[in-house]
Amino acid sequence: MMTANEHTLKFFGEELQQLKAEVARMGGLVEAQVADSIRAVAMRDVGLAQLVVGRDQKLDQLQIDIEKKAIRMIALRQPVAQDLRRTVAAMKLSWNLERTGDQAKNIAKRALVIADAEPLTPLTRSVERMGKLVLARLKDALDAYTNLDLDQAMGVWQKDQEVDEHYNSLFRELLTYMMSDPRTISACAQLLFVAKNLERIGDHATNVAEMLYYEVTGEEIVGDRPRWNGGEGADVDRGFA
Amino acid sequence: MPLFQSPSPVFPAPSSARSPARGWLQRLYDDLTGVLGRSPERVVDAAPIAPAVEAATLQEAALEALPDPLLLVEATEPNDLTGRRITFANAAARELLRIPASGALLVSAIRHPEVLEVIDESLFGAIASETPYEPRSAQERVWRVRAAPLPGQGRSADGEVTRRALVHFSDETDARRAERMRVDFLANASHELRTPLASLSGFIETLRGHAKDDPQARDQFLRIMTTQAERMSRLIDDLMSLSRIELNEHIPPSGACDLTLTVLDVADTLRPMTAEKGVKFDLKLPKRGEALIAGDRDQITQVVQNLIDNAVKYSPSGTTVAVEIVTGLTSEGATAYASNAQAMAAAGGGRLSLLTPDRAAPDAYVLVRVADQGAGMLREHLPRLSERFYRVEGQKSGASTGTGLGLAIVKHIVNRHRGGMLVESAPGLGSTFAVYFPTPARSG
Ligand SMILES: Nc1ncnc2c1ncn2[C@@H]1O[C@H](COP(=O)(O)OP(=O)(O)O)[C@@H](O)[C@H]1O
Ligand SMILES: [Mg+2]
Repeated sequence: MMTANEHTLKFFGEELQQLKAEVARMGGLVEAQVADSIRAVAMRDVGLAQLVVGRDQKLDQLQIDIEKKAIRMIALRQPVAQDLRRTVAAMKLSWNLERTGDQAKNIAKRALVIADAEPLTPLTRSVERMGKLVLARLKDALDAYTNLDLDQAMGVWQKDQEVDEHYNSLFRELLTYMMSDPRTISACAQLLFVAKNLERIGDHATNVAEMLYYEVTGEEIVGDRPRWNGGEGADVDRGFA
Repeated sequence: MPLFQSPSPVFPAPSSARSPARGWLQRLYDDLTGVLGRSPERVVDAAPIAPAVEAATLQEAALEALPDPLLLVEATEPNDLTGRRITFANAAARELLRIPASGALLVSAIRHPEVLEVIDESLFGAIASETPYEPRSAQERVWRVRAAPLPGQGRSADGEVTRRALVHFSDETDARRAERMRVDFLANASHELRTPLASLSGFIETLRGHAKDDPQARDQFLRIMTTQAERMSRLIDDLMSLSRIELNEHIPPSGACDLTLTVLDVADTLRPMTAEKGVKFDLKLPKRGEALIAGDRDQITQVVQNLIDNAVKYSPSGTTVAVEIVTGLTSEGATAYASNAQAMAAAGGGRLSLLTPDRAAPDAYVLVRVADQGAGMLREHLPRLSERFYRVEGQKSGASTGTGLGLAIVKHIVNRHRGGMLVESAPGLGSTFAVYFPTPARSG
């Protein structure tokens, strides 16, 4: 026979697992949104871009559901220590994922404009490459979350710089292009916005890794984020925020 | 652990015509029974002692050894996300999804929404269906995921009804890559054509306008325009010959061709260019009639022409371009001929096979080798040389006349002739390109 306490514990464990599964599923949807938005830019696919914009609402709904569930669990079961951290982490993760989804929606909206302008194939490929990199980081972060893999989480956190470096070099490439052919300025600017959105998604991936670390250890990752700072890109991009 | 607890056959033959996607499952089933060498029913006949157990282990071993990732998924009810579990993952699936052989939660193995949907359709809708799947990892790979419902509902440990589905992954990376290359090719080709066209239009505009009455400027502009027009026609020639070659790449060439004659012809046509550049030829050729290959003479000429043209074009004046023909080599001998790979690697370059022929029955080849004393290339460029429009950046000579299509054409022609192609190069050590062709069978 189980005691009442054991019952509650088992029950809470199941609920928590369910909650984490929902976060993982939401993560999958967000990954798909990001991937599709990048593809919409690369392939100049208006239909796909519209699809991404339309699907964003579903993410908002999922986020609200997860948050409600988490709050109810905290209120009714009053978890402590790691159980509490896990529940809170799931909720925070859903916020992060929802905002990642927003960035994907923004990219898709830019894709609509880009599809109307002259193709800038080599530049678009560079943006696509950056997109792939960001997507791989998001995947690693979510994999780390679903497998509770601290090493992988640390890997994502430490490689934060890579995306920034990519952004920086893309920024230069775009500037050179715009200067050599002023007719491309407006199209280049759109790609620059996309790059900015991608950089934010990279930040969210890092957040996910940090949250996982907190969830497991109860501690913040010590040390500064190893991020790129300074340089000409840093000043200008504030203007695009 | 047996995969199925139910008394139904361990891997029941799928009943045909349940749905259109049924075909692959039938094929998979056929493959499996092929691996086992006998059908499950016959296993029961032939092995009266504990037949079910033996069949189960055999079937499991077969599933495990399958090169394609394969999953068995169990679920209880649609809204229970944690009820969907992977009860079996074969070796390929474990590697792809980084999961244990059994027990993993489905959503923690696969988050891809379409894949989850397809699996759900099999679990709860009893419909077989499929979707593409890109795991978004660093190595770009594209899979097709097919899910099919499995018969035989069972009960889980706590008495709930479970449903089962089989999930199969097949690798479609190559097909996707080829499609992508086609798209990129069109974009690149139009881009390459547009640059000279834009400059032509610009000069026409200027000649109509303020350069109208300036004979000196007019002469200069017309000269540039001629260069641009020539560039466009070179590009179009190359594009057309590339598309022609691709069109009949699968048809083996007819006719015979004497490589010695071909090299002599090409060397003659390039003399004006070598004289102008101050580059010398050093030809080491067998006697006429000794270097015979089965091949289309015009295409072989194109190969030799492109290689020697590159060697001259990318060499500074005062250097020598050596052309050598070697007969009677095996394919291995051809790949290793006069290798200087170590020295090349030490200098930041290397030796690389750009095309290797399938093993032919009479293993006899003739090799043409073109070695220059030009600037050479870093290792990183070598694998990409036969890509269309690929050019090494920062080379002094040749940039203005190249189309970046020459080596792509060479590769396609050599491939049609069932031959091979090699490059060896390093900064400061020059470049050597070699192609080899099978010799015709000595019959009549
Ligand atoms: N013998 C060589 N020495 C140095 N570089 C070479 C040589 N042959 C080819 N390459 C490099 O490979 C690129 C592709 O060659 P190719 O396909 O023939 O195009 P291209 O029309 O530019 O000659 C060239 O642009 C050049 O950068
Ligand atoms: Mg060439």
